[in-house]
Amino acid sequence: MLPLAHVGHYAIWVLYAVPVLIVAAAIVRSMIAQRRWEGDEESAPEEP
Amino acid sequence: MSFLPLAHALAAREDLPVPAWLFAWAASIVLIASFFALAAGWRSPRFEQARPRLLGAGFSRAILSLPVQVLCGLIGIFLLGLAVYAGLEGTAAPDRNFALTFLFVTAWLGFPVVSAVLGDVFRPFNPWRAVGRAAGGAFTAIAGQRPAHLAYPERLGRWPAAIGLLAVVWLEVVYGAGGTGLEPDTVAVATLVYSAYTLAMMGLFGVEEWCERGEIFSVYFGMFGRLGLFGVRDGRLERRRPFSAATTWATLPGSAAVVIASIATTSYDGASEGAFVDPMESVYEWIVDLGVGLTAASRLTDTLFMLACFGGVALVYALGVRGMRTVPGAPSKEKLRAGFAHSLIPIALAYLVAHYFSLFVFQEQAQFTYLLSDPLGTGTTDLFGTADGGVDYSILSANAIWYVQVGALLVGHVIGLMLAHDRALVYWPDYRKATASQYWMLAVMVAFTCFGLYLLSVANG
Repeated sequence: MLPLAHVGHYAIWVLYAVPVLIVAAAIVRSMIAQRRWEGDEESAPEEP
Repeated sequence: MSFLPLAHALAAREDLPVPAWLFAWAASIVLIASFFALAAGWRSPRFEQARPRLLGAGFSRAILSLPVQVLCGLIGIFLLGLAVYAGLEGTAAPDRNFALTFLFVTAWLGFPVVSAVLGDVFRPFNPWRAVGRAAGGAFTAIAGQRPAHLAYPERLGRWPAAIGLLAVVWLEVVYGAGGTGLEPDTVAVATLVYSAYTLAMMGLFGVEEWCERGEIFSVYFGMFGRLGLFGVRDGRLERRRPFSAATTWATLPGSAAVVIASIATTSYDGASEGAFVDPMESVYEWIVDLGVGLTAASRLTDTLFMLACFGGVALVYALGVRGMRTVPGAPSKEKLRAGFAHSLIPIALAYLVAHYFSLFVFQEQAQFTYLLSDPLGTGTTDLFGTADGGVDYSILSANAIWYVQVGALLVGHVIGLMLAHDRALVYWPDYRKATASQYWMLAVMVAFTCFGLYLLSVANG
């Protein structure tokens, strides 16, 4: 059985996966931003 | 529901105004909007702190009185007995025999929906509970003391029910799919075996203990009953805030497995008629090439894919739990896993409605016409004069079915989000952290919504 025979199925599946990927990407982005913000807070010099 | 050839879609969907996948996108947007609305306006737990209102003492006494309990128990025993008798003595044609439609459609699909509205309505009609209680009462009267029971192993929790749930669906959709199909007498024998097992367990551990933990149907229908409006507490009926009782459901080990098994088995049943057809064929051919017989290969393939569905749903949920664990102040992984399991109950119900709505509407016409008048399907009886009745398949259009499916999935997942958000506010009193933890559950809900719609769109063609 040729693997390419089912490309159509996979293509449709990708369309259904797009919202999940967008939400997952948003979570990853917010986690990176949060860590960067925490890192900046730690490295910032304390005010006298 | 392989024993009924018209289980899901009866006709290819007509042209929808937009492609089916756009419904998944739109549903995801609604979920994301709901998430932000919850984050903005729901900043303290409401379900957890909901106080049920006790109903009138006289009304409670009447509904919960012994004669009513006995009557309900007798109705349950009679219907189970009728199903077993029809299975053993009736026609072998599955669609003409009362047993299959009653057990796998009317009861299996009807109780979850009714329970989700009214509360646990199966409990008074549970035939095994009725027999167990009657036997316990007789023992007490004769021996002059209440029957002694073994202590139920706490670690087992609801695992017997979770495994049993997989077994019931396996019998229904896997065993029935291979060989000659699921025959009524097979179901009758399985019911008798299950009855003997259940009564033995009730004898060992106690009727209520087993119903709460191990009796498959009590646990399964009771789970949906936690979404409903009415419950019983301290011998009184109470009216509670919708969905609020779900917050105290997953306190026993194995509860998450029960609700995951529910979602997984429904997913498998839908996928085996659409999305999984090609990969299942490949695996089947591979197993046959190993020298396994055709029927065994078919059942083995189906079993593997059903277990894969269970693993897949569990994995998505585990990822959500793992994500929540990264939020500062999170409780242990075990606590999170049990603590958010109840938010999957409305999703399990949504999957059930979405996948079996059309089957239920069509088969209930059969149930209340020819199956009621001629339960054995032999063509020799016409108890209510409806033996010549039939099923009107034009009662629902394919598009109407699709809109119900989309609506059910959407509503179920929004309620799931609400329950998860409410629980998060208990674990993270700071609503900002609670909201951050729920990004992960939002991803879980969006994933289940899109997966469910994908399965339905492929199965519906």
